[in-house]
Amino acid sequence: MNANEYQGSFLGRISIRRNQVVVMDAIHEQELEDIELFQKHVSDRFSELSSPSDDDAILSISWLRKLLDVFLCCEAEFEAILLMDRDPYQLSKPPFDRLIPELLDRAVKALDICNAVTNGVESVRHCQKLAEIAISALDQKPIGDGEVKRAKRALITLMAAINLDDKDGTNAKSTERSWSFGRRSGNKDRVAGQFRSLSWQVAKNWSAAKQIQSTIYNLVAPRGAEASGLPSPIYTMNVIMIFVMWALVAAIPCQERTGLPTHFPVPKQLNWAHSLIGLQEKIADEWKKKEKKGMAGLLDEMQRMEKSAQSLIDFTDSFQFPGDAEKLQEAAGHVAELTEICRIMEQGLTPLQMHIREVFHRIVRSRTEFLDVLEKGSLPVI
Amino acid sequence: MELPENPNKDNNGYESAEKIILRWDSTASEEAREKMIFETDRHEADLYLHAVDEIQRSLSNASISNNTNAAAAVAVDDQSKVNSTIQIAMARLEDEFRNILMTHSSALEADSLFDPSSSSFSASSHHELEEDDSVSNEDSSHNDLLRLQFQHCESSDSSTFRSTSSIREVDLMPIEAICDLHAIATRMISSGYLRECIQVYGSVRKSAIDSSFRKLGIEKLSIGDIQRLEWEALESKIRRWIRAAKVCVRILFASERKLCEQIFESVGTDIDDACFMETVKGPAIQLFNFPEAISISRRSPEKLFKILDLHDALMDLLPDIEAVFDSKSSESIRVQAAEILSRLAEAARGILSEFESAILREPSRVPVPGGTIHPLTRYVMNYISLISDYKQTLIELIMSKPSTGLRYSGDQSTPDMEFAELEGKTPLALHLIWIIVVLQFNLEGKSKHYRDASLAHLFIMNNVHYIVQKVKGSPELREMIGDDYLRKLTGKFRQAATSYQRATWVSVLYCLRDEGLHVSGSFSSGVSKSALRERFKTFNAMFEEVHRTQATWLIPDTQLREELRISISEKLIPAYRSFLGRFRSHIESGKHPENYIKYSVEDLETAVLDFFEGYPISHQHLRRRSQ
Repeated sequence: MNANEYQGSFLGRISIRRNQVVVMDAIHEQELEDIELFQKHVSDRFSELSSPSDDDAILSISWLRKLLDVFLCCEAEFEAILLMDRDPYQLSKPPFDRLIPELLDRAVKALDICNAVTNGVESVRHCQKLAEIAISALDQKPIGDGEVKRAKRALITLMAAINLDDKDGTNAKSTERSWSFGRRSGNKDRVAGQFRSLSWQVAKNWSAAKQIQSTIYNLVAPRGAEASGLPSPIYTMNVIMIFVMWALVAAIPCQERTGLPTHFPVPKQLNWAHSLIGLQEKIADEWKKKEKKGMAGLLDEMQRMEKSAQSLIDFTDSFQFPGDAEKLQEAAGHVAELTEICRIMEQGLTPLQMHIREVFHRIVRSRTEFLDVLEKGSLPVI
Repeated sequence: MELPENPNKDNNGYESAEKIILRWDSTASEEAREKMIFETDRHEADLYLHAVDEIQRSLSNASISNNTNAAAAVAVDDQSKVNSTIQIAMARLEDEFRNILMTHSSALEADSLFDPSSSSFSASSHHELEEDDSVSNEDSSHNDLLRLQFQHCESSDSSTFRSTSSIREVDLMPIEAICDLHAIATRMISSGYLRECIQVYGSVRKSAIDSSFRKLGIEKLSIGDIQRLEWEALESKIRRWIRAAKVCVRILFASERKLCEQIFESVGTDIDDACFMETVKGPAIQLFNFPEAISISRRSPEKLFKILDLHDALMDLLPDIEAVFDSKSSESIRVQAAEILSRLAEAARGILSEFESAILREPSRVPVPGGTIHPLTRYVMNYISLISDYKQTLIELIMSKPSTGLRYSGDQSTPDMEFAELEGKTPLALHLIWIIVVLQFNLEGKSKHYRDASLAHLFIMNNVHYIVQKVKGSPELREMIGDDYLRKLTGKFRQAATSYQRATWVSVLYCLRDEGLHVSGSFSSGVSKSALRERFKTFNAMFEEVHRTQATWLIPDTQLREELRISISEKLIPAYRSFLGRFRSHIESGKHPENYIKYSVEDLETAVLDFFEGYPISHQHLRRRSQ
């Protein structure tokens, strides 16, 4: 309702306008309060995520699930602020005629990332299965040559899978369990052509890194008057969504993460953003360290698995029956660690996938709501 | 717990078995690496398998016979050695297993997928493409809908894929290979190497499925890709997906299931299931990504019918999906399929609802020239005719009544429906009626943009008549709309015709009235010549104006055009004839009668034929005819 459009008598106009202004002010006041509360909640939730307990190391499976929960909570609050009792025409006017479509565009990108990451969890599961072979071999008492060889075979394949270059989901050389054969001239062509055990479910030219990059592109914090109105929570939600997707991609292997952006253009003075930015910088540092080595992702359990697997490979390399008592004990320790990690994965990977799926559904639903509102607020073209 | 009898004999058996295993240790010898046992020679393969069995037997015997410390100490060493041998054997078997699988893991054979006897486009029954009388006002939206109708028929054509109306398992590899794989699997699993077995199996078969997917044209499209594609491109992808999905579920996945069952028959509980899921889970999710992405795409009216096609296809496949994926571990796939189905249904409902809102808000204000049928009317009526073709599906999907207009609101800015027509109608029928109500409401608004009230009435008459014709032309639509409402619509356009006539002709005919022409005075009695001349002049001018203007108006429907002209003539001609008859003598007795009596009755009759043709006429044309 635009007060300027009222036509009536001089006195009538004054009184009506005054009433309108009073009502508008009250609405505006409430909105400001809601926005402030929302951003406080965001700050609190991310602050909690920044100080994890032992069980929830940053980028562990359980931490990721907490992150997803934070997303769902923030999203619900955000939707309430934006859509409840909202006049659809308001969201079709500037600046929302630009901000909302941008948000929805990012939402679509997030959906693709959800799918890619859910698919990527399968490759984590693949590593888990390989580790379980090694465990079942080395759990035997006493450990003999046979068990060690078996474990070694599995562990080498595991390391190859962990250090798989994301692009090479289609590369035949490193995808399969190591053969005893090495180069087998007759069958090499057949191997190279047919063999993709871990092929990604996405198109060849899809890149997680590029996808994330394009969500960050043209992400601009609202300034001036906009910073105290609805554009502000919209910006907040955008940042949260991007961060969650980015963290998932950093943690879980999916196609083409080379060139994953490590910097978010979020102004430091935004007080709701402190913990989020802190987390982002911490994770980005880890990423930069490991990037050159090529790795299956920063997932905490994968990092731990890699360490234990490497130690066990060293053990198998130097093993001679019946084995050195001290080394055997050390190996048993690593096996126990691996067992624990596999247990966590066994219990946690499927729920993680389901959790991501829940986020997927929520983003879809939210997007549909926004599209509905946009339709109502604008004139269609048949 | 007794020592084995004839230890020497058994030892010999064990030793020769061990020798065979070690001979084929590929980490140890070049020769062992160079060929595959199961490719070489049946006899070699059997020997090897027997050797493995022998080693396994001795392992279980050894574990039984440890009853003294000394024996135990020896046994540990022996056991370790045996385990080592077993590992070598298992590693070898694993490679053999992989090799056999790879030899027989190409994409599904072409003739399992494609039916060589069908031609690529068989001309099965097409729905009649409707043609409208008026071609001149054809617009692109109408063409779009014609195309929609045509493509709807296409999807019922027989396809180049083999008939896939039910589950049909094919043999994915020769029976000998299956036997070998089974033999190997049994030994691997009984030695505790189940995990390796599943890993190898899953990875090789998964890549085979990938190749089959490519052959079937199943693409890896992201949700973003699908949002960006033009709807036309998506339509053909949807058609392709529907055909491919039937092959996937009913042939491909079902056959993989059978293969697992054959290879892992009686090898242990649920192992065949684990292998099947390992193989098929990823591809199945990939398959479903496409319809899911479609169900999420932005809603717009033209998408309705393909989305319904997709919905119906998935609905049809659902029992087979549940049959092929019937274990606990495959629950997520069944759940996802059901989710997508319900999303598609929701999308259909959303599109219908948005369509209704869009009609209400359709804002074009430029009046259609000549008062003819508005493109909106055409589009909407063609659209709901198509909807009635999809009646079977939509009746199930549409469960709630239209959201507005069921309450009499008295608000002039929204339409409403009366209760009388609503008894006993399905929600779908209510929606269709509501659409017509909303369409009319919008048309009423548009008619107000005509400056000439007569034209406004004509416009309404034309459009409502068109609506009636379309409803009558489709039995399903007519049955749903119901004859009561149809009668109401008919009354409406008749009334518009009447309003038109009143608006135009009352004032024209007013010129031909008797009153005011007779005077009584001192010097003359009878008719006032000056008044009479005025009358004729006015009549001529009015008629010419009406004639000139309304010749350019259009009534596309031939019959309606005729009827209206006849109705006009019925009032005009007798009135003019009687006027002429009574008063012409007065004019003809004065100067320049031709300035006043310009037209004969026949002239007028002919002129009426020009009305509503949609073409301008020249004024000369009329005068020439009268001379």
